Amino acid sequence: MTTLERIGTVTIARTFKTLLPFAVLIAVWWGIKTGADVPDKLLVAPPAVWASFTGLVSHGILAEYASASLRLIGTAAIISFVIGVPLGFAVGTNRYAARALEGTLRFLQGISGIAWLPLAILWFGFSQTTTLTIVIYTLIVPIIFNTMTGVRAIPENYALALQSLGAGRLRIVRDVYLPGALPSIIVGVRLGMGYGWRALIASEMLVRQGGLGDLIFGARTFGQIDRIMVGMVVIGTLYIVVDRLLVQPVETLTVARWGVLRR
Amino acid sequence: MADKIEVSGFRHFFRTEIGSVQATGTIDLSIKAGEFVTLVGPSGCGKTTLLKAIAGFLTPSEGNILCDGIPVRGPGRERGVVFQELAILPWRTVRRNIGHGLEIARVPKAEREATVARLIGLMGLGGFEDRYPHELSGGMRQRVAVARTWAADPEVILMDEPFAAVDAMTRLTLQEELGRLCAATRKTVFFITHSVDEAVFLADRVLVMTRRPGTIKAELEIPRSASGGRDWDSFTSDPLMQKIAGDVMHLVHAERV
Repeated sequence: MTTLERIGTVTIARTFKTLLPFAVLIAVWWGIKTGADVPDKLLVAPPAVWASFTGLVSHGILAEYASASLRLIGTAAIISFVIGVPLGFAVGTNRYAARALEGTLRFLQGISGIAWLPLAILWFGFSQTTTLTIVIYTLIVPIIFNTMTGVRAIPENYALALQSLGAGRLRIVRDVYLPGALPSIIVGVRLGMGYGWRALIASEMLVRQGGLGDLIFGARTFGQIDRIMVGMVVIGTLYIVVDRLLVQPVETLTVARWGVLRR
Repeated sequence: MADKIEVSGFRHFFRTEIGSVQATGTIDLSIKAGEFVTLVGPSGCGKTTLLKAIAGFLTPSEGNILCDGIPVRGPGRERGVVFQELAILPWRTVRRNIGHGLEIARVPKAEREATVARLIGLMGLGGFEDRYPHELSGGMRQRVAVARTWAADPEVILMDEPFAAVDAMTRLTLQEELGRLCAATRKTVFFITHSVDEAVFLADRVLVMTRRPGTIKAELEIPRSASGGRDWDSFTSDPLMQKIAGDVMHLVHAERV
């Protein structure tokens, strides 16, 4: 076998391992549907979902709802990152601030984004702003928290050694604190994206101003089980795609190569 | 020769929740330029505290520390430090770790690479230039740490039990390599250890510390062969060296806790 062939075989094997459980899941679903003869108004078979999917795609409906959700999570992620990382640094490098804020951050982590919806709706109405606020809140807390713990976990010797090499403050931030905190920042972004995506769908269901949450909640009104299930599959799939496309490459290029990956 | 490092009336206390703890007794010492001084003492005697104060990582509770006659007011590039472990950066390759000090000093790239290449050769790191620290053994990582400090060309090098965390076999090699490096570069070195053999093997002069709060209880000059080189074979077969090591052992043993 040539190296290329070997890589090909490994890739196929890995893909197979990833997809197999999904195949089992679909088989179970199909089995329950036909075996127990569940009526169509409660559960439809995979081919019906597929038909609904192709229909939604060809009319451009799915693209519109999905892109609304993606745009929102993207905007929220950028804003949360830009504000959350520096804030996490500021808190993490200050021992007193870190100790003082740890309780507050844990407290806020306990109040889910959804719990803010009643207030947000009163403040911003049934609008995209409401959803954006909820998602940013959900995303930013784990980013701040993990950046802070990441900064605090960096061995003191790294900075001391650099000072002895003549490094100034800025240099130490750039060469020690930023790369040192990166593994934790990635964990924070990962967690944040997971929580944020869930909060987004939930908020869209209540706000009803577009997005995949709106799509599946609207479908409920007309009893369109097939459409609800298409929406759910797309929600799960998009989350994996976003994680693989954005977070994993950063991880592979940095922390995995440095041998400091945290899971 | 002039004194490179001068410590006078040094004493240090740590503040803790239960009050202040005396870390060291009163310490006076001086190190001449180009001299290799080792400090050996029981654990907890305050050797690391003294080294940290000379490095500028902590401000002494009492006393003065001078480097070239100028009071130490914090870390500086004229005083390089080699730590016991966890000090080279995991996100930099061997090459970029060794060249870090030169990078900070804005040394031109060509010159930087020449220095790094020379140290990679001296420390036997050839072929590992582009590896990351996690891909190296503990001994190799310490070689990188030593090379990084030497590359920055400080006037004084402070070493805090740099080989304590590597296995015994590797340690012997590293000690010989350090001996050769010092003979080749004539740096002023202050080296802390709790190993008597290591202290006598490497030093021009050995200082022995008492148990906490530590003071310096004895000082021994170590005669050097003309070449200034050190190797374990001749060290173990040299009756004079063995006698000195025995004397130091007695001095240290009396301080056991």
